[in-house]
Amino acid sequence: MTGPSIQLDSVSYSYGSNLVIRDVSLSYDGGQFVGVLGPNGAGKSTLLRLLDRLLIPQKGQIRLNGRPIQEYGLKELARTTALIPQEPEYFPFLVKEIVMMGRTPFVGRFRREQPRDWELVKEAMEQTQVDHLAERPIHQISGGERQRVMLARALVQNTSILLLDEPTNHLDIQHQVSIGRLLQQKGKENILAIAVLHDLHLASLYCDQVILMHEGSVFRQGSPDKVLTGSTLHEVYGVALNVMRHPVNGRPMVFP
Amino acid sequence: MKRQLAAHPVIFLICLLVVTGTGALTMGSVDVPPPVVGRILLRQLPLLEPWIQSDWTAAQATILLQIRLPRVLLAGAIGGGLAVAGVIFQGLLRNPLADPYIIGVSSGASLGAAIALIFLIPMGYMGFFVLPACAFVGALMSAYMVYRLGRIHGHIQPLQLLLAGVAIASVLTAIVSFLMVLRVQNLQDVYLWLMGSLSGRSWRHFYTASPYILGGFVASFWLARDLNILLLGEETAHSLGVDVQRLQKKALVLGSLLAAAAVSVSGVIGFVGLMVPHGVRLVVGPDHRKLLPLSFLSGAIFLIAADTAARTILSPVELPVGIITALAGGPFFLYLLRRSTT
Repeated sequence: MTGPSIQLDSVSYSYGSNLVIRDVSLSYDGGQFVGVLGPNGAGKSTLLRLLDRLLIPQKGQIRLNGRPIQEYGLKELARTTALIPQEPEYFPFLVKEIVMMGRTPFVGRFRREQPRDWELVKEAMEQTQVDHLAERPIHQISGGERQRVMLARALVQNTSILLLDEPTNHLDIQHQVSIGRLLQQKGKENILAIAVLHDLHLASLYCDQVILMHEGSVFRQGSPDKVLTGSTLHEVYGVALNVMRHPVNGRPMVFP
Repeated sequence: MKRQLAAHPVIFLICLLVVTGTGALTMGSVDVPPPVVGRILLRQLPLLEPWIQSDWTAAQATILLQIRLPRVLLAGAIGGGLAVAGVIFQGLLRNPLADPYIIGVSSGASLGAAIALIFLIPMGYMGFFVLPACAFVGALMSAYMVYRLGRIHGHIQPLQLLLAGVAIASVLTAIVSFLMVLRVQNLQDVYLWLMGSLSGRSWRHFYTASPYILGGFVASFWLARDLNILLLGEETAHSLGVDVQRLQKKALVLGSLLAAAAVSVSGVIGFVGLMVPHGVRLVVGPDHRKLLPLSFLSGAIFLIAADTAARTILSPVELPVGIITALAGGPFFLYLLRRSTT
């Protein structure tokens, strides 16, 4: 099988009369970490929901790995993309039970989990550094730990495309860094990770590509170097911003 | 390993159920001591019959076999059915405050059953089939209304849904009261129906309700895993390949079936579906694969005990069992409400 890819051809979506995605065309091919940036209400979360078929576009075509998204069966889709939405609800399942739920698309309704499933769960928990929390109830761990548990849950789904809605929101800086690095690493392992991010620095440091959205359209896309410039950001965010270089790696850093 | 751990509470509850059931059979205005209860029951088994000497009065046997046994079994089935319905609705709404009584499904069933009792059965329709069917239609209609009112932009809003349920429940209960006051001569019957009672229930009622309850209970295992995943949220469940809307519809139908079967023979017994699943969840956690069987057993035990209390506390006067469950359940609901908002 070829590498993961997503393709949007002039996709539009509106909630009622409110057009939230306007004629967006995008194409990403192969493993990489793509950040979706833009002010509130730019359509970032809607874009992710379209990519997981939670929403169906009124116009245009979305393809995942070359195939139109509407042709996927529900389970098949679950084996192709994994979504981590922003959801504050947590019931007192154990961490390992939550991660195991990621195996749902592969496990029959009444089939017991196999040793192979538990191995994958363990691997994913190690990768996201939550293996020591395996036996803890999810509501008793910190927000940063929870987010990493959700990431582990998405990883055991073993999909070639990962969709994340603000995975670093409300996290301490060390967790932001570890999630940024992990997604960068996943990009190198031929996984296409697409994350809505608020933090421009994080996007600049870890993303291979960024999409800057504005009022439902793609304003600019490309490497963080090209997109994160003072004049572009000024137009999108409406305030003057200074872009300087990171002292160590030269990536663009944004300051008011 | 985990499976063995899960088996222990099941065995424990089955033992407790047998003890409670036997205890309930011994209690009442005519004294039937536990050993006699055991021997009368064993003598009903075909192979054991010649071995057991009959040293009891005919009255004792009749009271046990024709009055107490069907009532205890019926109380067990209804308690189990309401508890499983509660588990299903709570999982569906991801809210521990939901149960068939509070979200109006029981009232819908009550209206359907009342229409059958007042208009259809006296006209000679087969009560055996018509009664639960009418209750089911009523339950489904109210469940569907509540579901539609509680859904905003394609997502269930739990608070909205609870409030819609409360409103619909009061309207439907008012209609039931109105119909009954118009058509039923005996106001006490109306009262027993509205509060929920097992007074005077016999084998006929047991055979009417229990197939649906047992069937619904077994079918609920089909939803257990998907209900677990739904607890992670609708979007996550979708992303894991669960057809959320279909699951929600199946759960509504199944929960309505269970509640309707219970209501069709007992009237509206409240709070069992609220308290029992919640108590079980506190002990074993939120996994529906454990919650469903354990709640069924606990619900059965609870309602057998409550009904025994209802018929013995003020003997020879019988209280509606709904008074006992409401006395226990109302404060419990308030406790949950306080806990979830602070």
